[in-house]
Amino acid sequence: MNMAWKEMKRNKGRFLILGSIVFLVSFLTFMISGLANGLSEDNAGLIKDLPEGHFYMTKEANKTYNLSRIDNNTQNDIFAKHRNAFALSIQMGFLNNHDGKQQSVAFVTSTQSKWFQHVKKGEVILDRSVEDNGIKIGDTLTNKQSGGKLVVKGFVHHSKYSHAPVAYINMDDYKEMFRTSDMQLMYIPGEAKAPTFTGLQAFSKDQFLNTIASYKAEQMSLNMIIWFLIVISGMLFAIFFHMMNVQKMGLYGILKAIGVKTSSLFRMMWTQMAVITVIALVLSIALSEVFNHLAPKGVPFQLTFEITFQLSIVFLIIGFIGSTLSGLQIKKVQPLQAIQQGEM
Amino acid sequence: MSIFTIDEVRKTFTNGEVKEEILKGVNLSLQEGEVTALTGASGSGKSTLLTIAAGLQFASDGQVIFEGENLTAMKPAHVRKIRAGKFGFVFQFAHLVPFLTVEEQLLLMLDVSGSKLNKQERKREIDKMLKLVEMDHRKIAYPTSLSGGEKQRVAIARAIIHQPKILFADEPTASLDSKRSKDVTALIRDLTRKLNIAALVVTHDEEMLSFADKIIKMSDGQIVQKI
Repeated sequence: MNMAWKEMKRNKGRFLILGSIVFLVSFLTFMISGLANGLSEDNAGLIKDLPEGHFYMTKEANKTYNLSRIDNNTQNDIFAKHRNAFALSIQMGFLNNHDGKQQSVAFVTSTQSKWFQHVKKGEVILDRSVEDNGIKIGDTLTNKQSGGKLVVKGFVHHSKYSHAPVAYINMDDYKEMFRTSDMQLMYIPGEAKAPTFTGLQAFSKDQFLNTIASYKAEQMSLNMIIWFLIVISGMLFAIFFHMMNVQKMGLYGILKAIGVKTSSLFRMMWTQMAVITVIALVLSIALSEVFNHLAPKGVPFQLTFEITFQLSIVFLIIGFIGSTLSGLQIKKVQPLQAIQQGEM
Repeated sequence: MSIFTIDEVRKTFTNGEVKEEILKGVNLSLQEGEVTALTGASGSGKSTLLTIAAGLQFASDGQVIFEGENLTAMKPAHVRKIRAGKFGFVFQFAHLVPFLTVEEQLLLMLDVSGSKLNKQERKREIDKMLKLVEMDHRKIAYPTSLSGGEKQRVAIARAIIHQPKILFADEPTASLDSKRSKDVTALIRDLTRKLNIAALVVTHDEEMLSFADKIIKMSDGQIVQKI
């Protein structure tokens, strides 16, 4: 007989309250995770979409890629050893349309690579988000810094850096705009262990992302909130089941006296925890998906299946730990004490 | 025929440096189809004896023999299995599971005892048992809607639905008024005979004593009189 279900049916109010709180906490966690992931894509989608590999910048740059200058000789040394390596530079800047309206962009240029867009001199490929500002293919945009003109050749999806749309430009234009012939970074994809080069410091993708100050601060704050919410949900289970168990000590004692196994009592509690968590998670995932579709375009909300699945598993594990900790009292219950107590 | 024997059972509690002997070498045997009443003043050791006999606590010395096996030498898991399958319990308070209906209380006991009956047989057995304790009209009721006497009837039905060999009852009428007390007493005696169960009942109730086949009086941890 499923005692767990029978108890939940009989005490709907009590379990509904716990379920509602777990639902709210998990919904809030999914929302913040969606925002964290969306902001992360908005901040560093350009980097995150690269395959696993290693970035290099000069040691003197002291983990600030803007200060890194990798000259042609060093680049050629690396190309000679790693044929799929490429050099890249990223600089924040502005483009103006024919009305003079300014559009903030992240200028990106690179040597030949299959992961970045390449254009001829005087051309630009932009992230599709600029279309919202009325920029179309064929438009001529001006860079006031250099006075150079760039013709829009196309758009790409999800290519953002530092919350700005990426503008892929030709290396000659880049050199002209920023008056440099050096590149900031080198990237070697696919190597499990980072090869070493004199004067250069290697960074994995995650390490490199963390050198971007705004990215690190943003993600750390949001992840802190997410983990805080997860811990709260674990504590909720622990406190709820602790209170329930305290009330049911007499009952557990009697059940043990008539021969019910302690493991059956634990299974009963785990079943209740699992039912509440699964229902709360299904509802909060559904609601998050609704929000995903209805959220205004400007809200960087991106909740992937992977994140949803991982968070759901974490919630179940935390719920399991919380309820088990509170359930340790069940193990200590002596049938004799319960019998000597009054009516439950 | 004796199916349960308590042989020279002693129980000592240690409180700091003071050792207190609650049971001082008690011998007792239970017969099938008989109600044995344990009586005596408060603190005489009768409840301790009952709980040791029922495998709810261990004796400090001596043996509790059931079906040729010594309960005091068994592992707790084995004792639990015997409690679930071969023993039935009725306590001073009914101690019913608050979120189960009357019939579910009995179904739970069949589950716990590892009953081999199928779903339909279980239903039949439960109906039969509820009829026997005259509670068949309340089978879908929850404990909160039952009177004290009704609860105790259900507790008795729960204690014997799995056809135990021994029924242990600790002051089963103490929380009932005299009318209900008499009913419950008669019920225990009738069921014991009808189902050929050995019953060990701790009681102060005169009514209960008058229904018992055997009365054992305890004082200061010893049996002082057998009637």
